Amino acid sequence: MSDDAAPAATPPGVPAVEMHGISKRFGEVVAVDGIDLHIGDGEFFALLGPSGCGKTTTLRMIAGLDIPSEGRLAIFGEEVASLPPDRRPVNTVFQAYALFPHMTVAQNIAFGLQMRGIRGPDADRQVAEATTLVQLEGMEHRRPSQLSGGQQQRVALARALVNHPKVLLLDEPLGALDLKLRQEMQVELKALQREVGITFVFVTHDQEEALAMSDRVGVMSEGRLLQVGTPTEVYEHPANRFVADFIGRTNLLEGVTEGPSAMRLDAGAVVAAPNELAAGTPAALSVRPEQVRLHRHGEAPEGEPCLDGVITDATYLGHAFVYTIAVGPTAGAGGTNDGDRTATITARSETGSAALAAGESVSVSWTPAATTVVAD
Amino acid sequence: MPSLRRAKPAATQPTPTGPDAPASSTPTGPDAPVPLTPAEVAAQRRRRRTGTLIATPGALYLLIFFVVPLGLITVYSFATRTATGRTSLSGWNLDSYERIADDVIGGIIARSAWLAFLTTVLCLVVAYPFAYYLATRPPRLRARLLVLVMIPFWTNGLVRIFAIRFLLGSNGPASALSEAMGLGTFRILFTPTAVVLGMVYGFLTFMVLPLYVALERMDWRLVEAARDLYASGAKAFWRVTVPLTRSGIVAGCVLVFVPSFGSYVVPEILGGAKTLLIGSYVARQFQAARNWPLGAALSVLIIVAMLVAVAINQRNSANAERTQGVAR
Repeated sequence: MSDDAAPAATPPGVPAVEMHGISKRFGEVVAVDGIDLHIGDGEFFALLGPSGCGKTTTLRMIAGLDIPSEGRLAIFGEEVASLPPDRRPVNTVFQAYALFPHMTVAQNIAFGLQMRGIRGPDADRQVAEATTLVQLEGMEHRRPSQLSGGQQQRVALARALVNHPKVLLLDEPLGALDLKLRQEMQVELKALQREVGITFVFVTHDQEEALAMSDRVGVMSEGRLLQVGTPTEVYEHPANRFVADFIGRTNLLEGVTEGPSAMRLDAGAVVAAPNELAAGTPAALSVRPEQVRLHRHGEAPEGEPCLDGVITDATYLGHAFVYTIAVGPTAGAGGTNDGDRTATITARSETGSAALAAGESVSVSWTPAATTVVAD
Repeated sequence: MPSLRRAKPAATQPTPTGPDAPASSTPTGPDAPVPLTPAEVAAQRRRRRTGTLIATPGALYLLIFFVVPLGLITVYSFATRTATGRTSLSGWNLDSYERIADDVIGGIIARSAWLAFLTTVLCLVVAYPFAYYLATRPPRLRARLLVLVMIPFWTNGLVRIFAIRFLLGSNGPASALSEAMGLGTFRILFTPTAVVLGMVYGFLTFMVLPLYVALERMDWRLVEAARDLYASGAKAFWRVTVPLTRSGIVAGCVLVFVPSFGSYVVPEILGGAKTLLIGSYVARQFQAARNWPLGAALSVLIIVAMLVAVAINQRNSANAERTQGVAR
């Protein structure tokens, strides 16, 4: 694993969150394994990874709900690794919200203020402001159980934001909402972050959500931070095979590098593939489905990397077709079971172009610049 | 299909029951929303019949050994005690109830309530931390500790109370220890203190279990949320953990207060002449004093107090369901 989590393009100034060699072990299990990360002031930062990758533990360590086994953790320059959660300038929007069921909406929102000794008209005014900010006017006296999922989510946001934390931590805050509401809340949350100007650290397993909302993304797997970058960087230039596969859909064509500009694919061809790996390194060529162009058999344009194959499946999605194509020297002869010499490519094409059917022989091609060579 | 539907009830109705059976098979009233098919009605009737059948033994038992005696007690409480100590089932009156307000009896009731209250508070104070400890252990350890909690509960109560009597007695270990430490003799047996100690011991399980259930169901993420919102550990406990386990607290208090109030065995064995409680006093009315109407009236009073406590508990658990049900 190349854990060159280079904190590239960290915004200048004192970082909102600064982690050096942060690890967390639960008994024998290493949940987080040596994370170095800077999150800039005012950034919308997403920690992205599959479940169990350590992203929630990382968030909990920033919140103070878990204490790191190793490493240094600072919030706006102040060392906090051993401080309890109530003495850190951060607040959390919990997964499933964790609203207090025995309190009304207003009491939930006022809780943090009360705990800091803010009461009376001053507290009332701040609660009212937060309620307005998340558009919950008129709901103040309801109980959480009387609210919809989306409304509960807003209460959780208001309950955290009313305290004007220096960093707001969000643990899969949209996970419990249905798709349509989730998409609306993505836009709203992003707008809210711009409005309040607070650093957001957002944990999600949904890569689309991470790409759509954040300024920068940190991709995690098995406790390690694999790549940190803008959504464009991690999508177009994944640092390794895991990131390429996890972020969006991609075709990974296995092979071996042959110098800095070419790669020999297991599927049979030597194709142009700019890379920085040593010659002879086993690697995969990542080609996004939308970058794959389909042609009638043998009609691929000269000079582009291309492979011949057979369509094994065509799926109509309304706005596009998705084709699955078996490529490789034996694919045309119906030898799609020849695992060593055959690869499967997924391609998308707009519905306007002529539809192709399963069984047709085709050629696929792509622009080398649109691909990335990734190693393990 | 209609022909098939008609065929079924005939096949599944081997035992038509009485002349009114066919009539009920076609509900046609204005508030019968959808008329049931004969097959559905037959199935419904079968289910009802089975239900009645399996409930009958229990219902009979409760009727004979609970409802009837209770009714008799209530009737006796309005009866008259004759000069010879017999109960005359005529000349119904409220004399026995009026006597409850007597200084002597009122004092006994007040003392019983006070000791029951002390017992309840002590049980709560002892049981809450213990239940908290239990509920926060890993599940396997939890199960083992729960068995340990239950063992005294399964042991003969009389044996346990006599063991306490030995422990607290003037020749017992507690006294020996006190003398060895130069604190003089230990006079606690046959005092209200001994009664409360015995009742706390006897009824502690009734407090631990509901508290344990409430704490075990507790969503600890809410405590984390409170900590995240600047609550110290203690504040999170008082503002979140205690209110959310309120149903367990109320249930435990009711379960301890009710038997403590009417307790008979513990005060008989550990209490002295000065700690006459209502349970013993009632027993005396039925035995030595031969004043059944008064004993019956006091029994009714205890039962009413119990019913009030149960009603409080019911409302409490309904409340807990309403405020916490969905958010959980």
